Amino acid sequence: MSACSKAWFKEDSPALSRITVENKATYPNINVCNQCGACIEVCPTQALERDANGVVQVRKDKCTSCLMCVGFCPSASMRFNGTKQTEPFKCISCGICAKACPTGALELLTTPESK
Amino acid sequence: MDMKEMKLLSEWSYEPAKIHRGYARETLYVGLGNKDGNYKFEKRPVSDDMIEKFTGGRGFGLKLLWDAVTEKTKWDDPENELVIAGGPFCGITQYPGTGKSYTVFLSPATKQTYNSNAGGYFGPFLKFSGFDALEIQGKADRPVVVFIDGDNYKVQIFESTLEDNNAYYISEELHDYFAKDEQDKRTISVISTGMAAKTSYIVGLNFSFYDVRRKAVRLKQAGRGGGGTVLSDKNVVAIVVKRTKFTGAENDPVDIEAIMKAGVSLHKRIHDHDNEQCKMRSVGTAHLTEIMDDYELLPVNNYKFGSHKDINNISSDEYAKLFSQGMADGCWYGCSLACAKAVDHFPLQTGPWKGKEVVVDGPEYETAAGLGSNVGVFDPYWTIEANFYADHYGFDTISLGTTIAWVCECYELGLINKEHTHGLELTFGNKKDLMELIHRMAAGSDDFVVATGKGIEAAREYYAEHYGADLEVMKKIGMVCQGLEASEYRCQESIAQWGGYFLTLKGPQHDEAWLIFMDMVNKQLPTYEDKAEALYFFPNFRLWFSLHGLCKLPWNDIEPVDNSIKYKGIEAARVPEHLNNYLTIYTAITGRPLDREGMILQSERVYNFERIFNLRMGKGTSKFHEAPDRGLGPVWEDEWMARPDYFDARLKEFGEEIEGKSVKEKIALLQKHRRSQWAQLKAAVYKRRGWNKNGIPTMKTVKRLGIDYPEVVALLEKHLKPEDEFEDA
Amino acid sequence: MITVNGNRSEWEEGLTVEKLLARENYTFRMISVWIDDRPVEKKEYSTKLIPDGAKVQVIHNISGG
Repeated sequence: MSACSKAWFKEDSPALSRITVENKATYPNINVCNQCGACIEVCPTQALERDANGVVQVRKDKCTSCLMCVGFCPSASMRFNGTKQTEPFKCISCGICAKACPTGALELLTTPESK
Repeated sequence: MDMKEMKLLSEWSYEPAKIHRGYARETLYVGLGNKDGNYKFEKRPVSDDMIEKFTGGRGFGLKLLWDAVTEKTKWDDPENELVIAGGPFCGITQYPGTGKSYTVFLSPATKQTYNSNAGGYFGPFLKFSGFDALEIQGKADRPVVVFIDGDNYKVQIFESTLEDNNAYYISEELHDYFAKDEQDKRTISVISTGMAAKTSYIVGLNFSFYDVRRKAVRLKQAGRGGGGTVLSDKNVVAIVVKRTKFTGAENDPVDIEAIMKAGVSLHKRIHDHDNEQCKMRSVGTAHLTEIMDDYELLPVNNYKFGSHKDINNISSDEYAKLFSQGMADGCWYGCSLACAKAVDHFPLQTGPWKGKEVVVDGPEYETAAGLGSNVGVFDPYWTIEANFYADHYGFDTISLGTTIAWVCECYELGLINKEHTHGLELTFGNKKDLMELIHRMAAGSDDFVVATGKGIEAAREYYAEHYGADLEVMKKIGMVCQGLEASEYRCQESIAQWGGYFLTLKGPQHDEAWLIFMDMVNKQLPTYEDKAEALYFFPNFRLWFSLHGLCKLPWNDIEPVDNSIKYKGIEAARVPEHLNNYLTIYTAITGRPLDREGMILQSERVYNFERIFNLRMGKGTSKFHEAPDRGLGPVWEDEWMARPDYFDARLKEFGEEIEGKSVKEKIALLQKHRRSQWAQLKAAVYKRRGWNKNGIPTMKTVKRLGIDYPEVVALLEKHLKPEDEFEDA
Repeated sequence: MITVNGNRSEWEEGLTVEKLLARENYTFRMISVWIDDRPVEKKEYSTKLIPDGAKVQVIHNISGG
């Protein structure tokens, strides 16, 4: 989470990370966007779209900060934090966290659904 | 795009105000002159007192209109204004239902003030352009388009080159005209009316927003009261606002995080539960049709009956099939309740656009019932077409539906005939002739339709004078009060809802109180004091939304799942969790604390000010708060005989013997008893509201509320009489 | 005899909440049921028996237009 928040918000804070890892009674609970795309049709300005790699991106120039995508995400993986910006943010499969993980527990995968 | 380039008649540049804690603290005044081309523009400051006493939205509208007119001003005098204002919440994007604005004006139909609520993007864009309110006064010397350019901080008046003066045409053309490209169309909002405004008083305003998925203009309505008639009288074809840039913190809130959290929690609730609650996202307000039918509340044949065997034709399932699903149908950003349904690719069967495929906005419940069951039509396709043309022509679908329903009954009773109607057979359910009636009313093409288009109160005078129609009978069956037609719920069997319709400020529009179930089914208001308390609390509570730019649907058309288990009785009806959201967000925007008492106080000031304003205009007293017979119970035998056991039981409750009495006698007895109940209700409500027996706010009340301005006090001194005081007030 | 929203109503052996709602034609989706001032959860409607003499309230949480 540090790697993510430092890369994208220049601050070491779990509240600013796009991937969350929690300890739930010794089991890790990882929550991160799986690029399912359910948010795309909810956005009133079509600010959410898949890029060439199939990754769902938030286009800030179209986003109105309504946060409907946050409420409608099936896995609660769209994040928001008003201290930095009003627009929501999400995992865009940059791979920085995977690189930073000391045990190699994180991996970027391409799946048919995300294309 | 069809239209030719428009000639610029006048232009004014301004320094835009910076929005601070929900307020721009400036309003825009546009003077059109008096048919002499003397255009004038002014920025006016908003004082601390104006914010304190009037809050925003409808409150600002009433205050600015009060200052603009005198007690002698008529709706078609140049001094009359259209005042459009949103409020401190208007334009936030995170929480559902925050794009509303109110239009306030002197009404041609009611001859007092009217205030009309609309969604769309106009309210937010007006504020982002630097204005808490817009006043339009005067009359232009030719058809004009007023353009508020919130990108370049200019206001311009153009000579209109629009050739078709109906709403969809005007709105589509102007979105095209002022946009750089397709992407840019969503930065514009257009206020327009339709050709019906030239001759009819039951004509409202359309407020547009651009639907990026459908690539089409969508229209929401400030439908009621004749705002469109006023716009047309001023020779204004459209008011356009453009604003491209705005952030999620454009309202400059103190605590954006609190707003974001509240918004996300409600988005999630709507996502999870709307489908098992009100189905707003899939059916919108039309989900109510079969529910109303089940409880005998659906208006059928001019409110004569409350249910019909063909209800399944117009049920929520039927409409769900016709509405395009899965569209982002919010009428301002951030509304996940998204109730603004539309029918796509609808081929019009009649009228000037026959054969064209259009996007139809709606039908809402009111239209599904008013231009449906109430006129005896159970055909959703007919209703959808009527909806389209009503919007296009500018008609208020509620007043249109209720007026036509009344006309049909007059026709079936033989009070008017085919000669009077110039060949139209206006019987309930006669789809062909009723649709033709709508087209003719819009065109104002003969004396009958012009008279009818003025609404029930004016039309019945005309029918009496010119056709010899029985005025007393027409009054009994006309669901109208204070010059405004009732909206589409049968209030007969709920004493509290008699008050919810006929003891209102502006007429029987259900935005003050909707108490039918609470009273009639849940039986939570057993005494007159209970009913009066509800008719004090809920109108004030609901008025609060109109001060702030809020839509009330996200308050109680979605509820926390445990709402009615966690809270008992009427407290559950207040949906405390959502009420608290509004208090939290108010403080998060403005930085000022607010509790429930404070909320009601903000409202009560404006509620009473509006009452006093109507007094100033020669209305606003007890004699205008009258209920028609049809609003209190059956008028004819067929109505009684539709539910004979039910009505016999009602009569027995008054201690009456039903043996040996004819149906006619029983009807008269029930009406007599209910009139007496009505009188008791009125007295209890007036007392609770801090009014005297004549329905006028007392000096004590205006002092308590801090609205004892010199003009108000002077007016009250003229009208308050000691014999009208309640004993223990 | 029971009361339903203040009105006297027949009681019978085996009267569940679900049966009562059907009998009274209370078809509205968003209701809450209280028996003797205690709320009944929706999942219990088909099994919860209403005792004789009970005060039943069926609150319709309808918001209106």
